[in-house]
Amino acid sequence: MGHTFVEKVLARKAGLENVVPGQIVTVRPDKLLTHDNTSAIAAQFRKIGVDQVADPTMNVIVLDHVTPAANETYAAGHKAVREFVAEQGITAFYDIGEGICHQVLPEKGHAWPGGVIVGSDSHTPTHGAFGAFSAGIGRTEAAAVMATGQIWLRVPDSFRIVVNGRLPERVSAKDVILHIIGDLRADGADYRSVEFAGRTIQNMSVSGRMVLTNMAAEMGAKNAVVEPDDQTRAWLKGRVKHGYEEVFADPDASYERVIEYDVSDLAPQVARPHTVDNVAPVTEVAGTPINQALVGTCTNGRLEDLEAAAEILRGRHIAPNVRMLVLPASREVLLSAIERGIVSDLVTAGATLLNPGCGPCLGAHEGCMAPAEATISTANRNFKGRMGSKEAFIYLGSPATVAASALTGVITDPRGI
Amino acid sequence: MKETRIKGRLWVLTDPEGNLYDDIDTDMIFHNRYLHITDVSQMGQYALDNLKGWEDFAQKAQPGDLIVAGKNFGAGSSRQQAVDCFRALGLGAIVAESFGAIYKRNAINSGMPIVALPGLTGMANEFETGDVLAVDFETGQLTLDGKTFQAEPFSQVQMDIYQAGDLFAYGKSLE
Repeated sequence: MGHTFVEKVLARKAGLENVVPGQIVTVRPDKLLTHDNTSAIAAQFRKIGVDQVADPTMNVIVLDHVTPAANETYAAGHKAVREFVAEQGITAFYDIGEGICHQVLPEKGHAWPGGVIVGSDSHTPTHGAFGAFSAGIGRTEAAAVMATGQIWLRVPDSFRIVVNGRLPERVSAKDVILHIIGDLRADGADYRSVEFAGRTIQNMSVSGRMVLTNMAAEMGAKNAVVEPDDQTRAWLKGRVKHGYEEVFADPDASYERVIEYDVSDLAPQVARPHTVDNVAPVTEVAGTPINQALVGTCTNGRLEDLEAAAEILRGRHIAPNVRMLVLPASREVLLSAIERGIVSDLVTAGATLLNPGCGPCLGAHEGCMAPAEATISTANRNFKGRMGSKEAFIYLGSPATVAASALTGVITDPRGI
Repeated sequence: MKETRIKGRLWVLTDPEGNLYDDIDTDMIFHNRYLHITDVSQMGQYALDNLKGWEDFAQKAQPGDLIVAGKNFGAGSSRQQAVDCFRALGLGAIVAESFGAIYKRNAINSGMPIVALPGLTGMANEFETGDVLAVDFETGQLTLDGKTFQAEPFSQVQMDIYQAGDLFAYGKSLE
């Protein structure tokens, strides 16, 4: 009998002939991703009693969560990270302004097919879009990986999600994944390895695939993966400077569940407050007033996302009562968006351009909400209180839906603009 | 050796309608406005203060108490503070139908006992706040008023880390 992606990649990494779901294996990850929380992790690392990280080339550190520092406490945290980086001789360090860790890590060549990545951020599954095993861990574990270079993992059961059908105009990867999460629920893929397959995924850009793997975390997935193809290889060319061995699930692999979707008639989807699985077609929430509209984050802050928003807003102006925030996911995305005139289109339309980074997504700065306010955001999480006030409301949608809503001041179906 | 059979007073996390809460996320357990806190002993006071009806949990909970919750407890962020706040309060264990994937690892690695009881939501009315529940980590057996429930026993690695104290102590014990 064949094996799923995760069984094959973890067996290879553990040096075993094969592994089965439920088995505990110890592996040496290729990369350990940490962000602003590196300061806390470094403090834990020092408690372990070793002086040197196991392998400085394993570490990828990106300052992105509260950048530039919003106050003295954050500034002290960033300073501690810079000192740790210098002391340990870590070369893959990206300071403020470079972008969000889940965008910067692949841009800088730290993700590749068949690789194993762990990161102290729950959206680390994003890198499965490049055919890697990539999973989120906590900070005690991250400190332990720094010290030992190893991690224990329980081999997950696998789901295969097959998506077919041509996406209608102004319906995108975000709508697909919101629809799936609404169907499977917030714990629907708890600790599972999720393989995304099917014609829709094959035809989807790398950027779109990253939306799927990023948000798989919101249905509890341990990791999510899209198998590598020519698009993946083209994207990675010039970024990954070494060879890699691609890993594919066997055609006769055994899955706990195979779930099929046809998206040819899919409407734009919106997650309503206060859970990501509280999903409805945009038509059901259309007309809901919003105060703020956000395009950005590790879910939807890439060039095609900014372009989707610009396509709707070009030559128009957002509603007078709406604040629109745009945060490119990285410096590279920002530069491309400037070159193509997208930044100019969005800013002329009334948007406020913020620096590449996580911005207000986690409620620390740059656009927190007051009580009773509502934001429609391209982010991945709408938990109560996530963006400031606990009495505020967060709706999640695609860049097109967010841009259409910014234009009118109420949640709006982008297909009608 | 640490105790593998414990007994404690229950806090059954129900919503205002009296139903067991599912999907209690990391922002409900430990809200993002406290993320700058790094001292574990300072985290307990904020445990569950963003969960409707449970804002005063930290004032009511006593060391050794147990929590009962529904599905997917600890969904969301990888923040370990959502585990550490309960360690700070000295809770005995968290019993839930299931746990968020990263939350589960964070709890295991920091030596915080968590026990998954499949089907818990369907028998939620068997558990009431104030009841005293006995939990056997080794066998997974839960006992309450003479009734028993079969939860998932600790895995070997979970037991080893728990016995050592936390992941670091466990690592040292291997040297």
